[in-house]
Amino acid sequence: MSNNDTASRRSFLKRGVLLAAPLAAGTPAVALATDGTRARLQRLEDEAAIRDLHRSWLRKINAGDSDPALGEAVRRIGIDHAEPEVIDVAADGKTASGRFHCTVELEDVIAKDSTLAQMARAQGTGLVSHTERRVLEVEYTKSAAGWSIERVIL
Amino acid sequence: MTGTPYPKLPMHRIAYTKLTKNQISAKLNGVAKRGPACASPLAKGLAGQSMKIVTDDGPSLAYEFSSDTKLSVAENGGNAVDAGYGALEQGDICFFSHMIPNTQRGYAVAVDRASKLATVVELWFSGYQDNREVQRQIYYGYVDTGGAAPKERHGYTDRLEGRGYHWRQDSGMETLEYYPSAGYSHFVELSRTGGELGFSAPSDYVKLNNDFFVYTRTECEFSGTFTAYVIDMNRTRQMGVRLGFDEHDDLHYYLFRGDGDIVGQIARFEKFGDYSGNPIPGPKDKDGKPVKGSRRVYRPLKTMEKLTKAQVNKIVKEHSTAFPKRTTTGGAAGMAANALPASDSLAGKTFTLRYDNAPAMEYRVRSADELEWRMDGKGSFKKARYQAYEAAPGLFLFGHLLEGAPNHDGHIIAVDFHEGLVTCYNGFLNTPYFANEAGARTLFGVVEMDGIIPPMYRRHARTTEMLGRCITYSYAPGLTSMHLYSTPHTVSWIIFTPDGHGGMEWSGPGDFVKIRDGIYFMYWLEEACNGTLGTILLNLNIMHDAGVGYHCGTRGGLNMSQIGAVVRHAGKFQVDEYFQIKGSGSVT
Repeated sequence: MSNNDTASRRSFLKRGVLLAAPLAAGTPAVALATDGTRARLQRLEDEAAIRDLHRSWLRKINAGDSDPALGEAVRRIGIDHAEPEVIDVAADGKTASGRFHCTVELEDVIAKDSTLAQMARAQGTGLVSHTERRVLEVEYTKSAAGWSIERVIL
Repeated sequence: MTGTPYPKLPMHRIAYTKLTKNQISAKLNGVAKRGPACASPLAKGLAGQSMKIVTDDGPSLAYEFSSDTKLSVAENGGNAVDAGYGALEQGDICFFSHMIPNTQRGYAVAVDRASKLATVVELWFSGYQDNREVQRQIYYGYVDTGGAAPKERHGYTDRLEGRGYHWRQDSGMETLEYYPSAGYSHFVELSRTGGELGFSAPSDYVKLNNDFFVYTRTECEFSGTFTAYVIDMNRTRQMGVRLGFDEHDDLHYYLFRGDGDIVGQIARFEKFGDYSGNPIPGPKDKDGKPVKGSRRVYRPLKTMEKLTKAQVNKIVKEHSTAFPKRTTTGGAAGMAANALPASDSLAGKTFTLRYDNAPAMEYRVRSADELEWRMDGKGSFKKARYQAYEAAPGLFLFGHLLEGAPNHDGHIIAVDFHEGLVTCYNGFLNTPYFANEAGARTLFGVVEMDGIIPPMYRRHARTTEMLGRCITYSYAPGLTSMHLYSTPHTVSWIIFTPDGHGGMEWSGPGDFVKIRDGIYFMYWLEEACNGTLGTILLNLNIMHDAGVGYHCGTRGGLNMSQIGAVVRHAGKFQVDEYFQIKGSGSVT
């Protein structure tokens, strides 16, 4: 199995279980928890929400949505499962950062500085595709509506 | 016969009249009633017949053929109109054509009587900003005999890609026609223009069945004339139609038959199993639907920058560059990612290149990228930036601009220190049509240098060894073209689509010099097309070339830049016999 595929149904469901488990027992657990376990539970819920947000964003990008932060050349971003993803939620729970290793498919337009390139562009091609390993760094903020992406650096 | 077989102007230099709609209507008047001419006997099989053709997303055509030259046709259930027509038959295929009276439209139709399938080509004038350029739309359909409609259809294909033919038509026209692309083609008019240059045109390739195919071309950027014919692949025969206005604005509308010879079949580069055609479909409208008649056409004369001599002189004075830094990682022209590394082997050398019919050039090479030159031993040496590439042991390509030359010359030189021989392509500007369009002279000579005894009589020589060959050139990721050397004086280039189909194609005059066995020095001129002089020293022993481009424009000024590619040999068309000079022309 490739380590570079995009978020698979299996991985998505697996993470859904991790997210769902504490939520399923959420009310009684929170009711019974001490302050320490309540904080740990909150952090797990935040991390799960951020993972969901990240995967939702990835699906949009891979479906063709553009994000100015990525540049025009990015066509697809695949998760690199070989490298661990890191999500750090700030102590105050209002901000977080994520580091995700990924493979990025880029498509550069050939500059029209030669007759051949002009012809390639004229026939609707003239794109050069290649794949690079990158680290996606994302900053998140939390509001009453939940977590949202503040900044993306690829 | 009087006169030489060559035209006063090649097609790309003819100022074709911008015919008005009224002028075209006046020329068409009467033709629709008469139908197309034909030097061969017309087929009589349709006389007395009726036929209804239904097409997908196109017209339905109800025909009544009253004779072998007269029909009535009702389009889309409308009123029938009388028109002249002509038909030809080959095997089960019937091909006929007619115009619609009092319009600028007409049809060319190929019907397979066995399968009842039909290909309908609708033709019309005044559909593009240049009214004389014939527009076409191809529809696929069937002959409606009242039963269930067949599911199969004719369709676009790449199955003809790579084929070349020599055709002799009953009209007297003799051509070489190359299909190196699935969306363009290249034709050489041997009879009408002496075969000196070949030209390229957007084309369609349609499969009727495994034995018969339809080919079309529209001579865009030139006369706008349309040609379509059915090819009988087994018998190497053609039958078709030609419609358009020539350089004298005379209307040509005739059917023809022709006999041919297969001159070769080169490689195709699609994946095995990919037989799809129409690789560069036309632009679509806002709803994503194809626009009737639309196609992607390379129009270099329309888009090229055209400068005056004064503008060129100003640009050259302000901005002249040779070989920007790090040319092996991209180059100014973007055609050098796969280029050979620059060589410093000439640094420290002093030599003279003594040309037979041009001033001798003395060189003192100061470093890996700077030399000094002097012409004919006169005056002081001038500095110039240069770059050299060792294309084979002892064989170098190097180039430099000649600052101060009135026509802003550049020399691109293949010098063989093992043999003491040199060939120079002397590029220059201020040419007659557009001042920024490069011209080129080919200079032959010898090398004079300590340790070298040059030959007295031997020289590099022009060759036809490259004639008919097709070589692919991969300059950079995503930038691969194929050269077709279609005549002893033509370089045509084809751009591939990402899935390996031959796409757009264009061509220009060229020259071919043999340097060593398997090593050729060639140039092409992008006349009426950006104006670039491209030169390559092709080494088929290592399947790599070294090259230099020479170009002048507003954006980059006068510049000389490296080009280079990894190459493949796609095959060779056997066309030498068509370019032997036999003295068939005469002025006495």
